[in-house]
Amino acid sequence: MDQIFLLFTVFSPIIGAIVALIASRSNVLQRWIGLLSSVVALMFATLVLRANWVEGIQVYRMGGWSPPYGIVLVADMLSSMFGFMAASVMVAGFLYAFSSHDYAVKSKAFFPLFLTMETGLLGAFYTGDIFTFFVFIELLVLSSVGLTAMSDNRLGMEAAMKYLFINGMGSMFLLMGIGALYTSYGTLNMADIAVSIQLGGRVLMATLAMVALTCSFMLKSAIFPFHFWQPDFHTTSPTPVSAMLSSVIVKIGIYGLIRLVTLLFIEEGTLIRMALGWLGVISIFLGSLSALRTYNGKRLLAFSTSAQIGYVLLGIGWNTPTALAAAILFAFNHAFVKSAMLMLYGVVASRNQAKTVDFEYIVGMGHALPPYVRWVYLLGGMALAGLPPMNGFIAKVFLAQSGLEVGTWWMVGLMIGASLLTSLYVFNSWQLVFLQEPNDHTAPLKDPAQFDSPLAPTLLIAVALMMGIFASPIIDWSMRVVEQISEPSHYIQAVPLAQERLLMLERYAPES
Amino acid sequence: MDLIYALAVGLFFGLGVFQLLRRDLIKAAMGFGIISTGINLLLLAVGAYDGKTAAYTELAQVSQPSDPLVQSLILTAVVIGFGSFSMLLSMINVIARRYQTLDSDKIDHLKG
Repeated sequence: MDQIFLLFTVFSPIIGAIVALIASRSNVLQRWIGLLSSVVALMFATLVLRANWVEGIQVYRMGGWSPPYGIVLVADMLSSMFGFMAASVMVAGFLYAFSSHDYAVKSKAFFPLFLTMETGLLGAFYTGDIFTFFVFIELLVLSSVGLTAMSDNRLGMEAAMKYLFINGMGSMFLLMGIGALYTSYGTLNMADIAVSIQLGGRVLMATLAMVALTCSFMLKSAIFPFHFWQPDFHTTSPTPVSAMLSSVIVKIGIYGLIRLVTLLFIEEGTLIRMALGWLGVISIFLGSLSALRTYNGKRLLAFSTSAQIGYVLLGIGWNTPTALAAAILFAFNHAFVKSAMLMLYGVVASRNQAKTVDFEYIVGMGHALPPYVRWVYLLGGMALAGLPPMNGFIAKVFLAQSGLEVGTWWMVGLMIGASLLTSLYVFNSWQLVFLQEPNDHTAPLKDPAQFDSPLAPTLLIAVALMMGIFASPIIDWSMRVVEQISEPSHYIQAVPLAQERLLMLERYAPES
Repeated sequence: MDLIYALAVGLFFGLGVFQLLRRDLIKAAMGFGIISTGINLLLLAVGAYDGKTAAYTELAQVSQPSDPLVQSLILTAVVIGFGSFSMLLSMINVIARRYQTLDSDKIDHLKG
């Protein structure tokens, strides 16, 4: 019953990282290793998703130890779907990095760090043990700090330092929450904690744990009161990295929050969900309005990420099965589109000598690109704004429909108003970069041999278009996710707790 | 014993937050390190048993053993905290050379 593919999914990137470190003499070899190991990870993630779809929740006990004494990897539909999303977007990131001419990508440390970042991401999605979750998140944070610090943008170092200060504190609060959970329930396994919370009720420290975990997940996802670090960090990192940061890595916090309200703290979940719904509305407007007045293409997309995360939060906040499914669908779709859009800006940046995407310098830069790139950008923008036939449309319709079922008319109205804002900033930037003629300020073009290839973003947008036209499998997946997470006993029963622990739990069960 | 732990954790946290909010980046980094030590101490304090002898020794048979799990958690957390701290210091080193200052108010080229 142990699903070995789970282990392979998490470990193929880190094995790739080690091999890439050994092969650090040849940058070309490192590029191949990176691409190959991310493809292998995607293959295993697909197998896990398939096994999950056919047979139900998959579990792997590390070293054969039963939980809660050993560490388990658990892939329920939520984990598999997020893991699949992360692995496929990461393949596109490696594809972009493969043809990139940035100085950062030529560095020896780039591909090993990029691969450890993928390990952290996949591991955090698949682990069933909350301390391991922390370790993987720290791996992710430290790798992305390293990657941003070596960015071609000279401000990368400053952004990376600020990010490490802020997110390091976030991780410490995560650790504090884990400590508080451990002292309350004496276990670190998520399923076991869930059982103990059901049996043992509320302990004083559990409230502290809930608050600390919620805050640190909100920080990781850049949700409203903790959003301030995100635009700087996502703007300055190297393009393949910023595409990953802004698309899949912000989903870590979303994943954590969904787990928190559906598995661990179900009773208090209502409160957290209400707060998240309100913060979602604020995030949507703050992100969209900031994106309207910003001066830099990547920064625009970083603010837009903050707005799109707001939509996901709305779905979590509404707390109906359809709304939750819509939120997961939205998060899934957003990853593909946002990474593609950021990569397109990277392509534009690679075209000019200043290597910048400040709107002042890239007016009309699109004329130097192959003509199809402008349509790719337009399709991506349509997906962000939620226009048919793109995948963003499906997700937004789903979300609006579930909002109407709940009866929050005004929130749906605000949502649609914010979509207008989205289309405003996306199409404005499209017109600036791809339609207008170059003017005096436009930066001079570079030697064509240094151009980054627009292959990876084109592929991602093609996938997004396909997901918009043939949406039913993904809708089915997210419905299955909701089926599984709306009943925590599915998750709990899938994790084979050791016999001794079950006896212990029975003894502590209340008499009533 | 619990009171000492609680006071120590509180002291570490207060000191750490105070240092973290100072202008000098080195001092802020020290605050970061102090808070991470405080968290480690908190983890030590939350051990499930309040014994004073080491676990898995012969002495542990007769008296309450201390919780080995939190100790291994702290080992991991210490390593991670050490990594973050050294990375932070090395980045501050580069920034100090590049910006010729350590005043966090002057390191604001990202504004916009």
